[in-house]
Amino acid sequence: MIVTAEHLQQPLADATLQSMFEARKRVFVDLLKWDLPVLEGRYELDQFDDVHAVYLIVRGEAGEHLGSARLLETERPHLLDTLFADLCDGPVPRGPGVREITRFCLDRGLTAARRRAVRDQLVTALVDHALERGIACYTGIAEIGWLQQILAFGWRCRPLGLPAQRAGKTLGALAIEISRETPALLRRAGIAAAWDAAADARQAA
Amino acid sequence: MLDRIDAFIRDLAGARTEDDLDGLLAEISREMGFTYFAVTHHVDLHGLAAPAIRLANYPADWVDYFDRNGLGPCDPVHRASQLTSVGFPWSRLPELIRLSARDREVLDLAARRGIGEGFTVPAHVPGEANGSCSFATKTGQPLHEGRLPLAQLAGAFAFEAARKVWRMRSPDPKPRPQLTDRQRDCVVWVARGKSDWEISRILGLSPETVTEYLKRARERYGVSKRTMLAVHALFDGTISFTDVLRN
Repeated sequence: MIVTAEHLQQPLADATLQSMFEARKRVFVDLLKWDLPVLEGRYELDQFDDVHAVYLIVRGEAGEHLGSARLLETERPHLLDTLFADLCDGPVPRGPGVREITRFCLDRGLTAARRRAVRDQLVTALVDHALERGIACYTGIAEIGWLQQILAFGWRCRPLGLPAQRAGKTLGALAIEISRETPALLRRAGIAAAWDAAADARQAA
Repeated sequence: MLDRIDAFIRDLAGARTEDDLDGLLAEISREMGFTYFAVTHHVDLHGLAAPAIRLANYPADWVDYFDRNGLGPCDPVHRASQLTSVGFPWSRLPELIRLSARDREVLDLAARRGIGEGFTVPAHVPGEANGSCSFATKTGQPLHEGRLPLAQLAGAFAFEAARKVWRMRSPDPKPRPQLTDRQRDCVVWVARGKSDWEISRILGLSPETVTEYLKRARERYGVSKRTMLAVHALFDGTISFTDVLRN
């Protein structure tokens, strides 16, 4: 199931959140070797994990983290304007209807098929969240290989600048436009299984 | 430069057919200083029934040669693009893969048929055959280094547009064979070279059960050999290399 966590006074408040920050450490620090702060040798937490951050978390039956994404307000400091502004050709997109997706994270222990299912759940949750909260645009920074997968979700994307090298990686900044049409675009790309499963579950109940 | 790519992406969104794509790719290739382009899934088109993306304006005699010799899966450019997710100029091929005498011959033949320097953007979508979008100059024409970041983006968006057109062309794709969790577990161990008896020990099942699971899994994929079962399951992402190679 999907949970939304926000206004966190204490980021490590419960087991699901702890498991998310641990998973982030395993993915971004251990696997991808990003240079990020680690708390108590276990949790990847940085200055943007504050009361303004919103987390969408795909949770397993025992409350464990399977996948998650962190959303940052673009009128406050966020990654694209503080660390990666040079990836944007023009001004960094900002506004009440613009959120930055960061730390899109899938648990390392998932098998290939399960991993895709969790990914799809997270992507559809991002779209649902945007439509509920009046978010018309997500921004984000991606390594170029991941960027290809983001395009493959079927939603409408446009680059914010040309890809550039940072610390040996090729990164690009993207804007993802969300509208009432987006669910249909995802469905056409075969990403909608999570919605269908949720609808089936509602019917069964 | 970004304006140009914005316009390209808008045009791609309106592309409905391979001809539409072909026109758009030819135009942007030319503007980036290239003569040729190729958007392709890396599978031997004659070996597999599933429709694959392939769109290119290479000289016809080169395409014929390429197909006749089944070069899709062993093309050195394609092989190199499995190893990276970042676009690379072909001059860097020897850094990415070890070129055999046969590879050098293939590259040499391409050059003699008019294909010069190239830049390939790998496109890996989980659960699908790997693919790429390449741009190439005519023999004797150099690559414009400054335009490669633009080519990287153009290639990424072009590949995705080709996937969309391909999906529209085959509106009712054959559903991917689905394995049960237990069948899948067995296939992972097959890929690791274990016999039915060994798998039965590892998973705590009877050998007969393992044999039965694998028989059903082979039926679902329509293959008769256990090696092909493992290859198909890896190919479509039912199991991953990580599953097979992890300790």
